[in-house]
Amino acid sequence: MSDWPVYAAILAVGIAAYAMRAGGFLAIGAMPQTGLVPRLLRLAPGNLFVAFAAAGILEGGWPSLIGCAGAVAAMAATKKEWAALAAGFAGAAIAASLL
Amino acid sequence: MRRPLNCRALWLMVMAMNSVPSTARPFTAAGFRRGFIAALPFIISNGIAGAVMGVAYRGLGLGFGASVLFSTVVYSATAQAVTLGLWALPPPVAAMMLACAATNARYLVMSAHLRQLFPDMPRRLMLPILLILGDASWLMTVAEAEKGRRDAGYLLGSSVPMAIGWIGGTALGYATPLTPHGPVAIAAAFLPLAFIASLLPTQWRGLRSLLPWTIAAIVGVAVAGTLGQSWAMLIGGGVGTLASALRGDDV
Repeated sequence: MSDWPVYAAILAVGIAAYAMRAGGFLAIGAMPQTGLVPRLLRLAPGNLFVAFAAAGILEGGWPSLIGCAGAVAAMAATKKEWAALAAGFAGAAIAASLL
Repeated sequence: MRRPLNCRALWLMVMAMNSVPSTARPFTAAGFRRGFIAALPFIISNGIAGAVMGVAYRGLGLGFGASVLFSTVVYSATAQAVTLGLWALPPPVAAMMLACAATNARYLVMSAHLRQLFPDMPRRLMLPILLILGDASWLMTVAEAEKGRRDAGYLLGSSVPMAIGWIGGTALGYATPLTPHGPVAIAAAFLPLAFIASLLPTQWRGLRSLLPWTIAAIVGVAVAGTLGQSWAMLIGGGVGTLASALRGDDV
């Protein structure tokens, strides 16, 4: 299969990412400062992450569930992303070898 | 770049700040140097996380060039982890773009504040800098401005080591001569999900998060089982977000 759909998809996602980075700078006058939109913007991340994690656990099974639990616990305890990634990796690997 | 801020704190911070008066040149080489030196530790921390992303990309079957391009043009651990979870052939481009925009919406607020901070910076200079805008470099720049050292050079200088760490880490992680098998391979495939899971404590608003997050999870699982993984986050997260807003969880 040609690689061009892959590169095109990456560039498309890159455009979406840059649109967020530059959008506020370019369109500050058009951005609502109060109301529903800014509220949704600040409430959305946690809910999006939970839905993503739940769907991922459904697909990945016990290793994903235990890995997620390890990552969340380590992040809550240490506030270090690298520690959370290490704990999640270890939890998933141990669960995959035992279950 | 990598660690999203607590969005409520970010919003309150932005809302509370007024435009910083223009007192000096908006971009200096000295500011660039100060920012670069201050952000040097991020070469290591971003490098480690970038290496994890590189390993995940290789496990997904992406080529080296595509993996490095991903970390270069998207340059967001959150968005990259989410889009990695949605990855399929052919790629679901619309879902991936939407997911990227949704997870990176905080940058709208951050760059809007930069416009207030640097109203005298020409767009032709600021827009390229925004390519490597990160959470940490934004925070560092705002903190500098509050100390009376408003300088877009500092923003660029602090952003560069972070980008070097992330992109270079992705390349190194991809090139690492490790071929995981068995449980380690399963754990390696889990890493993108680990990125997202590690962010959950930063978004927790106490018990009031419990109900909307439960709704988001249930809807996400239901959607994953019917429409597929691509839409689980967007629909589940969207329903959960609406529930949060209707309950007034942010006030």
